[in-house]
Amino acid sequence: MEKVYFSAQKMCVGYEGKPLIKEINIDIKRGEILTLIGPNGAGKSTILKSIARQLSLIGGAVYLDGKNTALMGRDELAKKMSVVFTDKIKTEMMTCEDVVATGRYPYTGKFGILSKDDFGVVEEAMELVHVTEIKNQDFTKISDGQKQRVMLARAICQEPEIILLDEPTSFLDVKYKLEFLSVLMEMRKRMGLTVIMSLHELELAARVSDKVMCVKGEYIDKCGPPEEIFQEDYLIRLFDISPRLWQEEMCRSVISSVCRKY
Amino acid sequence: MKQRDRKKTRYILSLGLLLTGSLIFFLCNVGIGSVSISFRELAGCFTGAETDSTVRNIVMDLRMPRALAAMILGGALALSGYLLQTFFHNPIAGPFVLGISSGAKLVVALVMVFLLGRAVKISSFALILAAFAGAMLSMGFVLLLSGKVNNMSMLIISGVMIGYICSAVTDFVVTFADDADIVNLHNWSKGSFSGISWSNVRVMAAVVFVTFVVIFFLSKPISAYELGEAYAGNLGVNVRLLRGLLVVLSSILSACIVAFAGPVSFVGVAVPHLVKSLFGTAKPVLMIPACFLGGGAFCLFCDLIARTMFAPTELSISTVTAVFGAPVVLWVMAGRRKERA
Repeated sequence: MEKVYFSAQKMCVGYEGKPLIKEINIDIKRGEILTLIGPNGAGKSTILKSIARQLSLIGGAVYLDGKNTALMGRDELAKKMSVVFTDKIKTEMMTCEDVVATGRYPYTGKFGILSKDDFGVVEEAMELVHVTEIKNQDFTKISDGQKQRVMLARAICQEPEIILLDEPTSFLDVKYKLEFLSVLMEMRKRMGLTVIMSLHELELAARVSDKVMCVKGEYIDKCGPPEEIFQEDYLIRLFDISPRLWQEEMCRSVISSVCRKY
Repeated sequence: MKQRDRKKTRYILSLGLLLTGSLIFFLCNVGIGSVSISFRELAGCFTGAETDSTVRNIVMDLRMPRALAAMILGGALALSGYLLQTFFHNPIAGPFVLGISSGAKLVVALVMVFLLGRAVKISSFALILAAFAGAMLSMGFVLLLSGKVNNMSMLIISGVMIGYICSAVTDFVVTFADDADIVNLHNWSKGSFSGISWSNVRVMAAVVFVTFVVIFFLSKPISAYELGEAYAGNLGVNVRLLRGLLVVLSSILSACIVAFAGPVSFVGVAVPHLVKSLFGTAKPVLMIPACFLGGGAFCLFCDLIARTMFAPTELSISTVTAVFGAPVVLWVMAGRRKERA
């Protein structure tokens, strides 16, 4: 268990050959949760998309269990890594169950017909994130929060070893935010799921992460355990909170509540 | 579990309906016309018992190839529309709307005029190739524009404009062609299933069948593609390859139709939607055969009307398909508005 499961070495990411963030190094063990935080537009999504091979790396390499992902087959990677991105998806006449079931794709045969076992996994995934009661509703007719949970169920039923989540809680209310995190904790305990996600909610990031990576500017600003990151003076610098804003009682109390744990 | 069984029953019933529909319309097409043929005579033609050679000629050499062509090409058209809708994630995309048919028409007209002027006979296969070149040309333009405008209505507008430009050039070519060519070209450029021979049918059946099989084997990646490229990629789909295949396959199908019947409007948009509503799903593994059957039945029905409604005058096939197809498009657009709200 002490072995590094996911590692990125000197990864350089960006669009169309133009580097955005350079020299990203990540090492996490199986079952750990890494959270990316940082200001809007810093490139958190770009990093996640590059790890998922949606964007080609400009430099460096990503390893899963010691194996370079660039050399993995599509199917092989699909069985190990699943994603929930922020892209809005348009479906046509698909129930929520149909959407979740697409996660079984790497495991089904030539025509993608699901077996009884596949349906069992789909059922289980839906129960885990509490979407069973809406499974027969059309995906286009449910709320954004429900969609987010359906997409999580979809990613779970892909039975990954590592899951990438881009702002997975942005549309969820408090109850589902907490439930979402408890699902993640449950899955890491049960099957050693490794998680890399971006979060805007610092208080959540502080509670669940094993490691936090701060994305800002051309390089990774800082990476370490949450108690190192969530220090008042550092957060002020990371998010460019102006002295005038800091004067306000409300602002101080929000930041300090995030940092109180440490 | 119950829900799943109910769906399965619906799929089977719908497929049955499409099959019987195709069969009934096919028989009507062979049986009904300016020369009325009784059911017994019809049966006689198929079993070889019919002795009247006029009747046999009408059925076997005129109506049979025409009905078969309407079925095969109608199926191809609907399937091509389905692929384009999948490709563009756009419910009103189709070979006619996007100007692909018109592009194919233009190149075919050019080739025809050029070769007929030199008294060269054109093979069916060469016609398909010419149409394919034209289809790819239009498709190229549409893709170029769609890269710049990532917007559903703009895509359609670019397609319609490309269609107009191609049609204008075609009209220009037809106007200045020799008299003898014009009669041929004029009928064809408006869209018609008339004058199709058995050798035409054999070629189109072969091309469409092979394309159909390839598409059917792509139904799994297509189903993943419906969730968008990011998720398809994550599920292990080679997105770039699939996109390329969708473009080429839908162009082959559109080319086939244009080469033999000229441009036929609205089937590509209307039929996939009718079929989806009938089945209550958009699963490619079902939609691919169902669109094909539905398109065949729809075109048989429309061709029957085109031939018989004002007999002996024949309507162009697009006139009829537009009457039944265009309202479906309007219905789809109205439905989408509601969904977003």
